[in-house]
Amino acid sequence: MFAYVVKRLISGVLVVTLVSMAIFLLFWYGPSSPAQPICDRETSNRCTQTKLAVYEKTLGYDNPVYEEYGKYVKGIFVGRTLTIASNDYECGAPCLGVSYRTKQPVKEELVSRMPATFSVAIGGAFLYLLFGVPIGVAAARRRGTVADKALVSSFLFISSIPYYLFALLTWLYLTITFPIPFFSDTGYFSIAQNGPLKWFGGLFLAWVALGIFGCTQYTRFTRGAMVEALSEDYIRTAKAKGLPTRTIVYKHGLRAALVPVVTIFGIDFGTLLAGTIFTERIFDIQGIGYWSLQAVQGRDLPVVQATALFSAVVLIIANLLVDVVYSVLDPRVRLS
Amino acid sequence: MSADTAGPETLGSLSDEPQHQDPNSQQAKEIAGKSPLRIALGRLARDKIAVVCAVVVLFFIICAVFAGPISHLFGVSLETPLASERVDGLNNNMPKPEMGPPFGPFTWEHPMGVAPRTGNDNLAYWLYGCRISLLIAASATLVASVTGVVVGLLAGFLGGAVDKILSFFVDTFLTIPFLLAALTLAPILNERFALYDSYATIQKFSLVVVLALFGWMGTARLIRGEVLALREREFVQAARVMGMPTSRILFKELLPNLAAPIIISVSLMLPAFVAAEAGLAYLGIGVTDGVSWGQTILQAATPTYFREYPQYLWQPLLGIVALVLSLNLLGDAIRDALDPKTRR
Repeated sequence: MFAYVVKRLISGVLVVTLVSMAIFLLFWYGPSSPAQPICDRETSNRCTQTKLAVYEKTLGYDNPVYEEYGKYVKGIFVGRTLTIASNDYECGAPCLGVSYRTKQPVKEELVSRMPATFSVAIGGAFLYLLFGVPIGVAAARRRGTVADKALVSSFLFISSIPYYLFALLTWLYLTITFPIPFFSDTGYFSIAQNGPLKWFGGLFLAWVALGIFGCTQYTRFTRGAMVEALSEDYIRTAKAKGLPTRTIVYKHGLRAALVPVVTIFGIDFGTLLAGTIFTERIFDIQGIGYWSLQAVQGRDLPVVQATALFSAVVLIIANLLVDVVYSVLDPRVRLS
Repeated sequence: MSADTAGPETLGSLSDEPQHQDPNSQQAKEIAGKSPLRIALGRLARDKIAVVCAVVVLFFIICAVFAGPISHLFGVSLETPLASERVDGLNNNMPKPEMGPPFGPFTWEHPMGVAPRTGNDNLAYWLYGCRISLLIAASATLVASVTGVVVGLLAGFLGGAVDKILSFFVDTFLTIPFLLAALTLAPILNERFALYDSYATIQKFSLVVVLALFGWMGTARLIRGEVLALREREFVQAARVMGMPTSRILFKELLPNLAAPIIISVSLMLPAFVAAEAGLAYLGIGVTDGVSWGQTILQAATPTYFREYPQYLWQPLLGIVALVLSLNLLGDAIRDALDPKTRR
């Protein structure tokens, strides 16, 4: 077990290195000139060849790519001083670059936006399980009845609608057409400044939209896994022993059925943490997803680069955790 | 299953009540001569939901293909008119359109009304948005399917190191969340091509590439699995013994047997790409020249417009929902029809 975790950690570090290289190369060779956005911005769209050359030189784009990548990696560990044109910007470790728009170190804004994204992700993921698992269990117990069929087909219907339209309609109808007092002022309000009530009210609709839409998938998984689990021999044994139904369903059935659900949940939660772009955009939550979207529109390449790297790291960690948790939950899985 | 409802599936009911039939009789020949795809089509035709969905999809395809003639028929076009002729510009907060409900009577000049502020005709934008949506989704599906099928065939048939390398790529791409990747690639593509004259066309091309880049893995996996089973079959071994070149075995022997999984993966991809195209356009990182359902939704979803003029939002939104929903349900029905294990 310990050896496996160490092995996975090493391969995780390797993957992060590869991903960071890929992202760095993409931004180095991808745009016609990586310095074009900052040059346009600083000269208010009157960027000439000579000015562009100055920006390219100070940002290091005239150096060999491996040298600059080395500086980038070194900056992540010990910090560095970045020069844009004639100004120096101090960028402490871990340095992910300096935003073209605000001239602030990217890392600081990334950290300041983490609570918003994490709040959305944790609340939404909690609702996935809170709705998804019990409804799935109930449907599996009533398999083949009208209620089960109605539930399955109506959830199929909901999950066929694109998520962003579902969230958009939720927002439009519940904040504009029929505003719900207290909940219709959506957005992220930090607990420290506005108190938990305001925080809860601002995020509530986002959680509901995310939770209701996401729970359809979990209902399907739970239902499928439960149907399979309830047909196992040990369930029949438990019934024959005369155990109460509650014990049979929840202790013997659900425990076995939850293993695949946990796997999918881990990956989904990781994806949510990496940035809930549509939810943040629609409900006006200033998190990492919205930030990277604004960076794309403002051609703020260092921010896009940093958010891409951040989400890759989060996803790799989530994958690792899922594999470890999976082996704890299901003793039949041997890690090697 | 009673005999009179069995239809094309009479093979199943024959085994239920064995009757001795002359194998050369007309009826027996008819039963024996059906390919799996013909059987699936027969089952599909009797599925009411599938037929309704197929009609809806056909309607959208007609709208997309004949967007030009249809808008000509109604006398509307994409051209930006003199906005002041159609829009009450004095209404500061809400430059409301003066034509079509809810601000004016219904008029055949603009059957779906005009957009606020710009005064663009909604019907024309809807039709051409439908065209863009289906065009991009279909091209991306084509590219992704071809890539997936080729990768799956090679990985499954050649095995060994090729399989390992290709499977590694499949697994790696599967872990990348599409939206984040699209968001990372969008500024790079924009930076590279922003100064070109044909930027709008390049943008659509790059959108297809990005969609296909993150859509081929499912097909590759499905095909690889099928090929792994097929390559041990006698007809493939026979072809090998006869000394057929590998490419011929792959494309002449194996590919025809993969029709069902290919159809299944296409049925999964199309609605996903329609939704993704509109979603990216809504975020402002897909099509940005305005002619896309997602772009119209982005404009219409502002509080002022939505409060006064909700159908401006509902027109493209219903387009997407109806198209995605019917493609999804049709895909479900096709998957059921192709699966010999399900009996409806």
